[in-house]
Amino acid sequence: MRRVFALTAILTILGIANAHAEDTLSPLHFQSQGPLGTIDKAAAQRGYEVYKSVCAGCHSLGKVHYRDLEALGLTPAQAAGEALAAGGTLNSPIKGAAPLNMGGAIPPDLSSIAAQRPGGPNYIYNYLTGFGPAPAGVTLLPGHNYNAAFPGGQTAMPDVLHDGAVTYQDGVQPTKAQEAADVAEFLAWAADPNLDARHQIGFRAIIFFAFLTIIAVASKRKVWRTQA
Amino acid sequence: MTAQTNQSWAASRLPCLASLCACLNARTMAPGGSYFAAFPFLIAVLAAFLSLSGIVLAVFYNPWHAFASVQFINRDVNQGWLIRTYHATGTTLIFALAYLHLFRSILIRAYRAPAEFSWLMSVKLLLVLLLTGWLGFVLTGGAAGHLSLVNAANAALSLGGLPGAVGLWFLGGPAGQGTLARLEVFHALLGISLLLVVWAYFASRKAAAQVEPAKAVAFYPYYLAQYFAALAVLAFIFVLLGFYAPGVSGVAANHIPAGGLALPLGAGVPWYLAPAAGLLGVFPTAKLAVAAAIVAVVLLYALPWLDRSGPDGAKGKVYCFFTWVLALDVLGLGLAAAGVLPFSPVLAVLFTGWFFFHFLVLTPVVTAMEAK
Amino acid sequence: MAEPTASHAPGESRRDFLTILAAATGAVAAGAILWPVVDALNPDQAAEGTGQLIVNVSDIAENTAKTVQWGGLPVTIRRLSAADIAANQDELVVPSTLPAPADFASRVNAGYPSFVVVVGLNTATPCALEGDSPSEPRGDYNGWVCPCDGSQYDPLGRVRKGPAKRNLAIPRYTFINPSQIRLG
Repeated sequence: MRRVFALTAILTILGIANAHAEDTLSPLHFQSQGPLGTIDKAAAQRGYEVYKSVCAGCHSLGKVHYRDLEALGLTPAQAAGEALAAGGTLNSPIKGAAPLNMGGAIPPDLSSIAAQRPGGPNYIYNYLTGFGPAPAGVTLLPGHNYNAAFPGGQTAMPDVLHDGAVTYQDGVQPTKAQEAADVAEFLAWAADPNLDARHQIGFRAIIFFAFLTIIAVASKRKVWRTQA
Repeated sequence: MTAQTNQSWAASRLPCLASLCACLNARTMAPGGSYFAAFPFLIAVLAAFLSLSGIVLAVFYNPWHAFASVQFINRDVNQGWLIRTYHATGTTLIFALAYLHLFRSILIRAYRAPAEFSWLMSVKLLLVLLLTGWLGFVLTGGAAGHLSLVNAANAALSLGGLPGAVGLWFLGGPAGQGTLARLEVFHALLGISLLLVVWAYFASRKAAAQVEPAKAVAFYPYYLAQYFAALAVLAFIFVLLGFYAPGVSGVAANHIPAGGLALPLGAGVPWYLAPAAGLLGVFPTAKLAVAAAIVAVVLLYALPWLDRSGPDGAKGKVYCFFTWVLALDVLGLGLAAAGVLPFSPVLAVLFTGWFFFHFLVLTPVVTAMEAK
Repeated sequence: MAEPTASHAPGESRRDFLTILAAATGAVAAGAILWPVVDALNPDQAAEGTGQLIVNVSDIAENTAKTVQWGGLPVTIRRLSAADIAANQDELVVPSTLPAPADFASRVNAGYPSFVVVVGLNTATPCALEGDSPSEPRGDYNGWVCPCDGSQYDPLGRVRKGPAKRNLAIPRYTFINPSQIRLG
């Protein structure tokens, strides 16, 4: 039993050492991934900009509210400003249902998309950067585009990201790959806004219950030793 | 610590407190009990824990907008995600403990006279858990739960006769939104009734216990200390699963709201329902599946009488071996139901056949052989 | 902690310490586990958010007011003109002579003295007040008038005349920035 706990502790410490690298493009790495991952708030804020200026044209984000943006590091005034600029209040969803129809395909709500698609942010990144000309032998359906990451290879969504599609406040170069990675991190946060809290509380709880287990087992042994 | 010092102000005014103290201090328990014997206690604690977190979830859950209300709990209720983690991880652990408890009961033949009733309650515990767990899975309003509900409703429609009528009464007709409202009530009632089943288990186990009076020990402090240590280990495992593997209790497809015309591929069921789903899934019609389920339940209940070794029958190595094979068989059924094994449909048939073969043939024959 | 007495076995005090430590840690664990269950029943994010309303005040012209519904009440926000401010200084309108004494500073936010935020309901007969725009009747004090019983209020929302005896209520509010206030 003690060995198990020692092993757990070592793995946990290794995990911490590994966890706090920021989002990087090459190799593609999201800070939110891994057992002790946290949301890269700077990247997620940039991703919100991408969502707002590119994705929101077609995709709703109905379960996330302007008040929730404060968890990404926006001040209450900034969040209120975002809400006011969109004609809503802090309690409004960032974007309600979008009654848009792409020739029969309805753009899905993005609130939980990172949880709904296997691969999460990696899939979103691959999808957003996966558009290209159809290989020989692939006949596209009318109104569809080729995407290597999409199951079936054909999607009604056009290739929307390009270099400079948004302007970042923090001076990061808005390349297409950067935009895709940032919006993937933003959507990972939107799908699991409690990720940071879960990993932090979990870490403390593991230490606490490891301690409790050790003293509870020791106490049990002590008690039973007195048994005649 | 004598009885007089425990005769406190409260106990002298409320006699049942005094008898509780006396009961805890009475030397009635066998010494040196294994940690595995604490499993029913842990199951009772988890059942209470699930009831408590379930009450909080019921405050916010709305069966008419099931998926949206679950999202609301996750995102907007204070600590709502944590309460859901409690409920989901508690479910995983109570099932794990129930399966292990049944396995151990079979392995050490804890079902034999005079403890048959404890065995009956152990089986009932698993059955109630399976039904409650399935209802909880359906209540999430996710695509996988909805698909499972539609399948169940279609099966009930196709059954006809009394089983079909019972099924339709339970589900309230084809799966619609109103169905979830009644299923929420059934889920809560069944969940709380688990506590009754566990209580009946403890009462019958106590009645069946044969302890040498000279060696007996009291619950307090010996077994209290042991149960406390067992709880601490359980809490540690709980944290590992709940905070670092939150997906283990659910199905990925349940992140997609039910409804719409698209059903996700590979929806499946949670791991704790997988063996039962595998067993039911190999039968081509609903009638056969229901018949098989009834036979399986009857066989489990009848185990004390399928064991032909008599009251003094010793634990045999062959019996032990086949019990381990049964455990692998049930595990395999679950894996086949999840489709992770190659040739899953064929293997599921084999595993199902072995399950019935084990109880119908192996158990009576092997125990009778080893009785001599 | 008492010295172990002779009647105790050598390991006894450590056993006691271990037991107490285990029980205490267990109690802490139980509390920590159960706290979220209690906290979950506190007002949720949506309910807390509904309790707050952000109002844009930059579009209110001087000498006019805007009324928003908040918490089931009409909340009136008025931007004072320089004349209003001058006419209601404590030297000219001595607070102790008013039906309900209140000085200028107590009616406005110190950082933004040109805004008056009040609940626009007469305090005697609960009628909505008139006087938000200069074209409406404003009474003798250029404030608000109750169309039901004729009570008159000044631009700071202090009652000046009439069956009403109390000043207009001031809701809880904060300035987020010069152009936005948050009610609640």
